Amino acid sequence: MTDHYDPTDSTDTRNHIRTDGGRDVVELPDQVELPRLLDFYELQTEETTEIAEFYDNLREGQLTTTECQDCGELHFPPRIVCPECQSDDLAYVDLPHEGELFAFSTVRAGAPMGMEDDVPFVIGIVDLGEITLSAHLDDAEYDDLSIGDPVELKIVEIDGPVDHERVFYRFEPKET
Amino acid sequence: MTDVTRNVGIVGGGHTKWGTREASYKDLIQEAGKATFDDTPNVGPEDVEGLFVGSVQPERFAFQTHVAPMVAELLGIDVDSMIARTELACASGQAALRYAWLAIAAGQLDTALVLGVEKMNLPREYAPEAQASMANVMDREFDGVNGFNAPPYFAMIAQRHMHEYDTTREQLAQVAAKNKTHAASNAFAQFQSEVSVDEVIDSFELSPPLCLYDCSGVTDGAAGLILMSEEKAREVSDEAAWITGSGQACFSGNSINNLPSMSAWPQATTAAEQAYDQAGIDDPLEELDVAEVHDCFSISEIVEYEDLGWVEKGEGGKFIEDGRSELDGDIAVNPRGGLLGCGHPLGATGVSQALEVFNQFRGTVESDRQVPAPETGLIHNLSGSASVHSVMTLSRERP
Repeated sequence: MTDHYDPTDSTDTRNHIRTDGGRDVVELPDQVELPRLLDFYELQTEETTEIAEFYDNLREGQLTTTECQDCGELHFPPRIVCPECQSDDLAYVDLPHEGELFAFSTVRAGAPMGMEDDVPFVIGIVDLGEITLSAHLDDAEYDDLSIGDPVELKIVEIDGPVDHERVFYRFEPKET
Repeated sequence: MTDVTRNVGIVGGGHTKWGTREASYKDLIQEAGKATFDDTPNVGPEDVEGLFVGSVQPERFAFQTHVAPMVAELLGIDVDSMIARTELACASGQAALRYAWLAIAAGQLDTALVLGVEKMNLPREYAPEAQASMANVMDREFDGVNGFNAPPYFAMIAQRHMHEYDTTREQLAQVAAKNKTHAASNAFAQFQSEVSVDEVIDSFELSPPLCLYDCSGVTDGAAGLILMSEEKAREVSDEAAWITGSGQACFSGNSINNLPSMSAWPQATTAAEQAYDQAGIDDPLEELDVAEVHDCFSISEIVEYEDLGWVEKGEGGKFIEDGRSELDGDIAVNPRGGLLGCGHPLGATGVSQALEVFNQFRGTVESDRQVPAPETGLIHNLSGSASVHSVMTLSRERP
């Protein structure tokens, strides 16, 4: 259910006491849809985050991050203030879309909410040269991978419990 | 560097049974409180001035927040000095202990209760929801989102350590077999079966190269400690575990790109050097008799042998292989059974480790796992992506 219980509406009996002749019954829903606060993906609009440009760039097909215009520090994750020099004069710069697999493993059980149906899945750390990042590794089998394997970016759309279009990055083995 | 202005001792402590408990979060708190006060007949709730509660995710696991006042109510404590819950992921218990120590050492109070508690086992259908927060000890937006909960993360530590230093699958299993065998005779441990190296390697390959028995458990449990200033401690007890040093380090990094290494924990070295320096320890391997270190996964203990300064980098695998961390080795590591054997109720672990060192000093642990007459001990916890390390040293002799 997406709308809220309205206590002034006498026809709205959700989360309400039902009388069956015996004890009053407090009704709770058997299940709730994925609550927004258990959705791992950040909100990506200018109204919700000051790094919306990162997501805008990604939506347009480019992985980027912030670079400090005062001290030159390259950050990842992207920032709004440079942790090295406290400058807020940051600019988005392109990151490479190909890198090497630095480490990897697989999740075969105990996955977090929203990912339990994806098990087993492979995740890893990708070395993009100046930065490393963690990522889902799509179209990859653990036994086929080695440290140093070339991988390349893919961008996925996120279909979830918010009303704006969201995207995220993943990596996959590079076709050779 | 901190000058420790007053001596502080652990004068008692108690434990619940750990495991999959038919008990609520509040039940565990009450059991641990009773066990702690039962162990210190000369100290009651009326004597406690400060309360420090280590608990990591009660908001998720028990749907409860503001837990320190709840502990005060359940245990009948009127706090008139300091009260706080500490949250530092898997090191929350040691953080609570550290702040209690600092408060007493600084003269703010004389008697504190430290209590660590976690209720982690929920009906199976809730497990993914419980794991949702476990995956977010790094940056949820950029790491947790990829499913980076603990087993695959520490599997990558193992993979890199094996890649860089030729650490072997057998050496990992030797850590797990050692600790689980210690736990087999520990009455409160979650896992009480001796396990062989082969059984570790043959267990379910959860997140390769780590198998199920390389991983600590999902555990319900609690533990408590009474800390006192030297002046007060002398009034109530002849025995204490004196805190001689305490250090922590975190190097401006918690997400993957900003961690110093995937095969070394220099933060552990910094935290240990602080504690050794305060305690006057020059040669830890020579001077420490017992150590409770954070073996959340088998690989962790191997990295810790190295980065706590006991052996050269890369020699950790050989340290276990050569038996140097056995009960009769250079240093008895995890005689309690470690997180691998006792389980890991996150907020309670550091508290339980300190209690173990005290029990080793006073000779009250099961004889199978008693270290011969230990005089000095260490506890170590890492937290989250091992981005933070916490080290405390303890002594049977008053400093």
